[in-house]
Amino acid sequence: MTQQMTTATRSNRFAVADLITTGVFTAIYFVIVAVAALFCNVVLTVAGNIFLPAIAALLAGPVYMLLAARVRTFGPITVMGVVLGLFLVCSGHFALSLVTSAVFPCLADLIAKAGAYRNTAAMLASYVVFSFGCLGPILPLWMMKDAYVASLERKGKDAAYIDLVFSHVNGAMFGVTIAAVVVCALIGGAFGLRMMTRHFEKAGVLG
Amino acid sequence: MTQTVERAAVERAGTTSTVARTFVQRDVAVGDARVAIDPRVKLAGVAVANVLMIMHVAPVVQMVAVALLSVPLFVAGKARAAVRMLACYALLCAAQWLVQMHVDALPWLHIVGLTANGVAMMMPCLVAGAAAFTTTRAGDLVCAMRRMHVPDAVVIPVVVIMRFFPTIRRDYRMIRHSMRLRGHAGNGLALLRRPVRSFECIIVPLLMNATTVANDLTLAALTKGLGTCARPTSMRTVRMRASDWAALAVLAALVCVGAAFA
Repeated sequence: MTQQMTTATRSNRFAVADLITTGVFTAIYFVIVAVAALFCNVVLTVAGNIFLPAIAALLAGPVYMLLAARVRTFGPITVMGVVLGLFLVCSGHFALSLVTSAVFPCLADLIAKAGAYRNTAAMLASYVVFSFGCLGPILPLWMMKDAYVASLERKGKDAAYIDLVFSHVNGAMFGVTIAAVVVCALIGGAFGLRMMTRHFEKAGVLG
Repeated sequence: MTQTVERAAVERAGTTSTVARTFVQRDVAVGDARVAIDPRVKLAGVAVANVLMIMHVAPVVQMVAVALLSVPLFVAGKARAAVRMLACYALLCAAQWLVQMHVDALPWLHIVGLTANGVAMMMPCLVAGAAAFTTTRAGDLVCAMRRMHVPDAVVIPVVVIMRFFPTIRRDYRMIRHSMRLRGHAGNGLALLRRPVRSFECIIVPLLMNATTVANDLTLAALTKGLGTCARPTSMRTVRMRASDWAALAVLAALVCVGAAFA
């Protein structure tokens, strides 16, 4: 009886420690996403928002790699995605953010787990997948065309031409977004891994 | 031990207990003085705003939605933020109207029209989000999440995040200060001259400190009983009042009207 209680408490304690670590790292990740969003909106204007996931991926590599190395178990990466999604939705971003930021991080968690949270290639691949979790907030950009066409039709204007032009633009934009995320996530992830060997291993904070 | 006030536990870590205590007391006093809208109603507002956006509702419904969803901001005393957002929305509407007038003569105006229309489409979400995000206290949010049976795996990180944001800001200031002291990147623009090195100088200490804070918080939280299985009590309670139900009814009506005018 006492034995059982001790084991239960111990596993629970680890769970709490991991959750708090995840919370702290998610806070930093959220700040990075907010900075990326600010940069996109101010410097690149509304259409520049398509680069939001890419810029976030470029910057968040060290956060992701250190979290994975600190905890090395299934869960924290998924929780980081879900909680980020919650914060994004609560702060007025598109509700589907919650879906993308739950599904992609969960996949990323599985990939990292396959590499035991140590294999460099697996961590890099998992970071690329994780970075797609930030696609949610910019999905409404692809709804803008339909909304505009609807507003033109409401005024009795001919919208067929606009519809045609912007459906091409939309397709191209989607390709650019995906490519930018992959490239930036690879660079950001490699940078994160380099920071691991260069600073965090030496400082002994890998848990 | 079972009286887990996890909010206070997290709050007090990293600060002196006197400061934390005064903060908690002020928190209660403010909460009693003002009418607080239930956080769940604000979340419902966010959900309704998203539904309206997906449906591409008529401009009239959109305007009504923006006006209604800004009400929590006024109620919570954030009138300036509310007025700023409403002014921004008014500008977008004016831009759309001007574009509609002249677009036949100047086709490039379609770009402006598309952008203005697109941002206006997101405006109900942004207003509802600002209301939910800036007017909800951490304690209320936690209580509401526990009421909605959100698992601890989500509640604990959310509490930690809300308490950790100010620490990030303070850390960042100190890091920039010591960077300046060592003659690297005196002002903001100089950060961009060697961006990779600047980023490294900022993110590495930030993460180092984050790991330390995580350890401290864990100890503080476990001491105050966060790991126990007992159901924690909450210092702040949230419950749906008549005004909250009325607000929910208005939101439901908004969706129905939006569906009719889609």
